[in-house]
Formats: sequence, structure tokens, C-alpha cells
Amino acid sequence: MTDEPPPWPRRCSSLSSACLALVALIGLTACGQKEGSGLERVQRAGVLRWGADAQGGEPYAMEDPDRPGQYRGFEVELADALARELGVRAEFVQNDWSSLIPTLERGGSFDVAMNGMEITPARAGRVLFTRPYYLFNLRLMARREDTSTTGLEALRGRRVGTLSNSQAWELLLRSGAQAIPYEGVQEPYIDLEQGRLEAVLMDDIIAQRYGMPRPGLRVVGDVGEGYYAIAVRPGEDELRRALDDALGRIARSGELREIFRRWGIDNAAQQRMVEWTEAQTREVLSQTSTAHMGWSQTLLFLQAALVTLLVSVGAMVLAIPLGMMLALGRLYGPRWLGGLTTAYVELLRGTPVLLQLYVLYYGLAGVLRLDPVSAAILGLGLNYAAYEAEVYRAGILAVPKGQMEAALALGMPTPLALRRVVIPQAFRVALPGVTNDFIALLKDSSLVSVISVVELTKRMTITAVDVRSWLLPGALCAALYLAMSYPLSRLARTLEAKLERA
Amino acid sequence: MIEVRGLTKRYADRTVLNGISATFAKGEVVALLGPSGGGKSTLLRCLNGLESFDTGSVRVGDCVLEPGRGRAQSAQLWSVRRRVGFVFQQWHLFAHRNTLGNVIEAPVHVKGQSVKEATERAKALLAKVGMSHREGAYPSEMSGGEQQRVAIARALAMEPEVLLMDEPTSALDPERVGDLVALLDRLRSEGLTIVTVTHEMRFAQALASRVLVLHGGHIIEEGAPGEVLTNPRHERTRAFLGLGHAAAS
Repeated sequence: MTDEPPPWPRRCSSLSSACLALVALIGLTACGQKEGSGLERVQRAGVLRWGADAQGGEPYAMEDPDRPGQYRGFEVELADALARELGVRAEFVQNDWSSLIPTLERGGSFDVAMNGMEITPARAGRVLFTRPYYLFNLRLMARREDTSTTGLEALRGRRVGTLSNSQAWELLLRSGAQAIPYEGVQEPYIDLEQGRLEAVLMDDIIAQRYGMPRPGLRVVGDVGEGYYAIAVRPGEDELRRALDDALGRIARSGELREIFRRWGIDNAAQQRMVEWTEAQTREVLSQTSTAHMGWSQTLLFLQAALVTLLVSVGAMVLAIPLGMMLALGRLYGPRWLGGLTTAYVELLRGTPVLLQLYVLYYGLAGVLRLDPVSAAILGLGLNYAAYEAEVYRAGILAVPKGQMEAALALGMPTPLALRRVVIPQAFRVALPGVTNDFIALLKDSSLVSVISVVELTKRMTITAVDVRSWLLPGALCAALYLAMSYPLSRLARTLEAKLERA
Repeated sequence: MIEVRGLTKRYADRTVLNGISATFAKGEVVALLGPSGGGKSTLLRCLNGLESFDTGSVRVGDCVLEPGRGRAQSAQLWSVRRRVGFVFQQWHLFAHRNTLGNVIEAPVHVKGQSVKEATERAKALLAKVGMSHREGAYPSEMSGGEQQRVAIARALAMEPEVLLMDEPTSALDPERVGDLVALLDRLRSEGLTIVTVTHEMRFAQALASRVLVLHGGHIIEEGAPGEVLTNPRHERTRAFLGLGHAAAS
């Protein structure tokens, strides 16, 4: 067993692992030390713990609806067969899909990760991969009535959805399509049906379950292939070889394809899994990622920063007048209007903005078809209006009553008195709160990546995985956020100082 | 000029005005006197509709204020307020505007005067109240006396026929009261009707052509200041004036 230090800098695929990388950077730990052979550990414990995300669903691994706490899926059966070959039993460990690799890399709570894990050059650099166990095709789907989409080459510059940092993602980038990143497997097909995407490129297993049942969609064709393999902790080569051998035996005995048949994912091409050789494994794993942080990546960052700015400014432009109307409605409106505005504020403030974005973009897709950026601006704007309303209400209440009376006594109608006398003074009180909210909004705008808008934070996570480093993308991302928020704080402070005199 | 008829105002457990009737003639200066809680400030605020009332009416020229707040009522309200200026006890100058800004605000935005015209008039008014040198000052930078003069100029800028003042002497140094009397006297001589609430007997005596004494929501005594203040008939007035013999009842 070699005692090599952990590869550095690390690549991770979730924000949480970015934080962990940061912790490591500060010097808290040089984690990931080997504790003897992985195979020995598995055999001593008598259990092969394998990490997967039950949310990935059918047919990979999911919770058995009839037996809570039990799992089923073709990977569950494969894990059982592999454990049997190693003379141990298999144990499912639930783990968020996007952090399976980082967790494994740190030597987490499972020995291996097996969950539709494609062999990509990026991942191959971080963990060990066994020989593949499944051959998948990248399946391109379009809307049924759209006859112009004949293949990838027809999609140059057009919006195509897929899972970020997947093999399909990389293929789309190479082909010149505008790749739109998703976290889930349902959403891209919903958006395709809604006309927000021109096509979706996903593994055929996913397309078969989630795309092809939709009557409005059609299969354009298969445009590439790839492999699922089991990821093993770096350095545990012995365990990897043992799993390789076990996989080979299961494949040759016919058991592997039998499992595939039971789950309806077998096809003629899977014969290659049976006849697989070690030379093929070496070839598949020989490719490594060559992407690095260059001008083109930096340009993409600037572009994403503009998206962040557009979404934030747009949302604020919406939130300020709406928040003002809510505050005035609550303070000066009739009783029913006051009740209505209070309900609005409590509802929008009391539920997660993430949920609101989901409802607005996917939930209401049938009645309100918004493009992602409009939905992002509208969603954040409606949410922030609730916060603005409270800031303005506090500001208005802070203006002495006498100011309003003096205006009324001079013959001003209430609206004019509000506009000329009360609101300008309330503005002074509310300004620090508004500035604060805008800066919070700049950062909250990263949430809109759930509705497939690539803003600054999303760009950072995508690039970090691409270039296999969090350091530079993270620093650039932070610098760009600061470059947007700091001038704003300065402007607000200058304005406050100016208003201070009055 | 102003005619008040049977004015009643109640709060949940208390009657503040109890059937007040009074008239204020053009060019008259009337001082409202009486103990705290007697209803004089409330009466003053009813005269320009800052306070609503339960029964009765207030007529200013040809405008009539009545109980209730309908659409027709608010039209009356605006025209009353444009004819009746109000100077608050704490002045309530617009904190975000300087002196000149305070004075031109209503002429420009309520009367629709041009800024140029309103500014010219404002400068003349500020000269009249002796505040020309403080045109650019903000309220927070001025003394109470200065703020009061600006508040008077602000009210006069709307060219009111009546000026209502609530306790105008309460924040003034005694030696400044004379200046205020001189100013108000000049305004009266130009035809302005003035109604003022005050605690200050010397101020009332020096300025008023008539005083009303309010107690318990009633006008208990009225007349020329010389009579009422030196020889009150009502024992409450005597008590209020500190002339004795009244504490018993």
C-alpha cells in the first residue's frame, strides 16, 4: 500500500466540499490518510458499505416503497452479488449524489460509491475506478413537433439541458451547444416540454424512465456512449482489483445481464461488459482532464457575474416599488388591504425562496410560461418585496407624526404628503436596511441556479469541477461578488452622509 | 370668518368638547385660555379639520366641516385647510428641507406656483418674520424661536385668511415673546384673523382682542382680555388665573 499524500488541490462537486477544502486550506488537517488495505478493512468488518443516493430513484437504487428502510434497484442487486463474491454482506449508505466523490476521497462513511457514476476524466483524477459494469448511451431528445433537431450539430448555440459536470455536459460543451445545467432528472424534460429548452441529452437509462414516457417528446438518437463504474477510495488499489475480479466473474457467469434484464435495462451492447478486458479498462481510464483556468473561463465568470447583476438589479427594481406599496397598504390602506399585505409579507418571508422559485418556474409552468431569467427576477423580486415592505414600514413609522400633520395642515392630500414629506424622510431611515438587503440579494441570487440560470456561484462550481481546483475559481468568484457589493456599500454610505445633514 | 356650532367631540370615556359654539370675526385676534385638558387645543385642531368631531359644524367662509369623512367632506377639508394656516407647538418643520424649502413646499405642490415665483414670495415672507439670514438652514440647526418664525412664514406662504397657533410662547425665551407679539400685531393689521391657544396671560393681554376660557369642554367665559383677566366672573377662571377663592367647589 503506497502512503501517498492526498492529491492537492482537490476537486469537489458541491459547495459543502468547497468549504471543507477551505478548512483544509487553513491547515486544520491533512486528511485522507490510509489505514491499511481497504480490502482488509472490508473483510475484517464483514461488510461492504456502498454509497449511493436513493433520490436518484429507479432503476439505480431507491427506497422500497413497501419496506421502508430497505432498498431496491439494479445497483442494489449488483452490490449484493459483489459482496457475496468478496465473502461479506453489502450495506447501503445514503449520501447526497453530488458529494459522493468528495466523501469517498476523504475516506468517509462508505468503502465504495456506486450510483450511475460515469467514468469522466475529471473524476478519474480524484478516485480509483473499477472496470465498468454498465455501458450507457447518451440519448438526445427533442419535442415531438420540432423536426429541425436532427442531431447534436443542429443544436449549435441552442439551449440543451443535462446534469452539470456529467459526460453529456462535456459532450455538449465540445459540440458548441449552450449547455444548461440541472440537478435533477425530471426538470430538464419538464423544461423541454415547456419550450424552455430545445433538447435534452441524458444517459439512456434516465431518458427511458423520465423522458420517453412524456408524449410531447421524441428521441432524436444516441450520440455517444459511456460507462458506469464503481469508485474506490484513492490508494485502495487492492480493493479495486478485488472488485474488478468479482465484476468479471459476475459478468461472465451471466448474472450481470440477468440483473439488467430484471430491471429492463439490458440490451445487446451489454455483451461488451461480459467480454471486457483489462486493456480496455486501462484505455478508458487513461484520459485525464486538461481544462484549466484560462481566459475563456475567466470570460465565462464575467458573463456569469453579469447574470448575477442582472438578476439582482432586476429583482430589486421590482422589490422596491412593490415593497413600498405593501408598506403603504399596510399603514394607510383600509383594514382588508392591511390584512392582505400582512398575509403577503408573512407568506413570502416565512417560506423558503427556493421553494417559491420552484413553484413559480415548475409548479406554475402550465399557466405561466417564464424563461429562467424572468422567473428568477420575478421570484426573487416578489420575495424581497416582503422584506422591503418591512424595512419601509419601519422607516415610515420612524418619521414623527407631526410631519404628516404639518403637511395636511398646509392643504396637502395624504398621498402628496406621503410622497413629498413622509417617504423622503423614511428613505433616510430605511437606506441602510435597503443596502443590506441588496447585498444579501446579490448573494441569494445564487439560488436561481435551481431553475437552470447559470449565475456566478453556479459558474464557479461548474468550473471548479472542470479545472479540478476550487482555489482559483473560488477566489475569482469571491472577488467578483465583492466587486459588485463593495461599490454599492460605498455609494450607500456616501448617500447616508449626504442625507445626514437634513 | 369662522363659525362654530354645537361642536361635540368624545373619546371612549371622556367628552373633550361639549357643545361649543363660537364665532371668530375677520381681523380678530382671539386667545383660547383654560386649564390643561379643558379642550382648547382640540378646539383649535377642529378649526382646520386636523381633528374630527362627533356633532356640530365648523364653517370657514363658505366651506362647512361636518362629522364623518366622505368624499364631499374631504373636498371641504382641503379648501378649509388652504384658507386656515396652522403653527404647531413644536412647529413640525419638514426635517429634510431647509428654511426656503419648507416655505415653498406647499405653494409649489399644493397651489401649483412655479418654484421661481414661490421663492420670491418666500424670501419676502422670511424678511417679514426676520429670518432672511437663515434661508439655507435646516430645522435641526435652528433655535426654537427661529423655527417658529419659519413655521409662521410657511403657514403665511399659503396666504391664509386665518392663522391658528398652538401655544406659540411655550418654547420662547421671555424676551422673545415681545418680538412675537409685534409680528402678530403687524399681521393682524394686514387683515389676518388669528386664533391662539396660550397659557401666557401677558401674551393674551398684549395681543388678543377677545379671550375665550374653556373648561370641561365648555366655554365658561369670554370677553375682552382686560375684563376677563382682571375681573373674571366664573370661579373656575379665577382658579385658573390663580386669583383664589375657587378651590373649595
